[in-house]
Amino acid sequence: MKADIDLTVTYPHPIDRVWAALTSSEALAAWLMPNDFQPVVGHRFTFRTNPAPGFDGIVRCRVLELDPPRRIVWSWAGGKIDTTVTFTLEPAGGQRTRLRMQQVGFHGLGAQITRRIMASGWPGLLRERLAAHLDNGSAGPGTRPVPHQGARGWRAYLPVFRGWRQTPSK
Amino acid sequence: MPRRPGRPKRQQAPAHDPLQPADRFAALADPTRRHLLERLAAGDRAVSELTSDLDMSQAAVSQHLRVLREAGLVTARKDGRHRYYQLRPAGLTELRDWLDELERFWQGRLTALGDYLGESP
Repeated sequence: MKADIDLTVTYPHPIDRVWAALTSSEALAAWLMPNDFQPVVGHRFTFRTNPAPGFDGIVRCRVLELDPPRRIVWSWAGGKIDTTVTFTLEPAGGQRTRLRMQQVGFHGLGAQITRRIMASGWPGLLRERLAAHLDNGSAGPGTRPVPHQGARGWRAYLPVFRGWRQTPSK
Repeated sequence: MPRRPGRPKRQQAPAHDPLQPADRFAALADPTRRHLLERLAAGDRAVSELTSDLDMSQAAVSQHLRVLREAGLVTARKDGRHRYYQLRPAGLTELRDWLDELERFWQGRLTALGDYLGESP
């Protein structure tokens, strides 16, 4: 199954060090968010960040899998989003480690379909309409955009992840 | 999704619950609703037209359209006796923006992990 979010980063550090940074509450607080994580399968924990509309600032997690030093899986639920986050580690040679991070479960196929549609998986008119929308911020020529009552609530939800993003100390 | 004949019951979306990505992903996860979106991608359609190639009642199709409308993926306008549905491309771009935002969040955090690994002894 293709992940909805799928990132791979190679770090110039041995696998045990990267594993330690993924499985210690203190380390996770340093690079991710304050938490009460424990490296125990079944352990329920939270990450805490700034609240936003529709999101209380608490990500509720549970350790689902723990396979040192290769693989750790958490459930990850915040707002109404209920997903799974998987970290997979493998040695990349010369004391380097490849880390793959995947987040899946945005209502099954929904996120993948969004990606596919947006990658012009649908032909013809949709592409034109999308292009017009992206160019003009409207639904396209000859169409009258109808105000959508949920739009404001939707916009309000976008800052959820902005709140989480701190400036990387780079 | 109830498929009883007749007019689907109107429900008011609760005002206190802002529309969330989860609702929109859920709306997209259903194959019938994806089919409806595909039809609407070709142009505005009345419910009767959208029902013509589906093996279900017009009421059931209306229910699906209501889910799509509440998820902000289509809009509806009334023209005489008919109600026409129209694709709302912004619904898809907003979802993509949201996923992109989430991806940037993780990219930022994984960069921070690299910094952490570089700094800690």
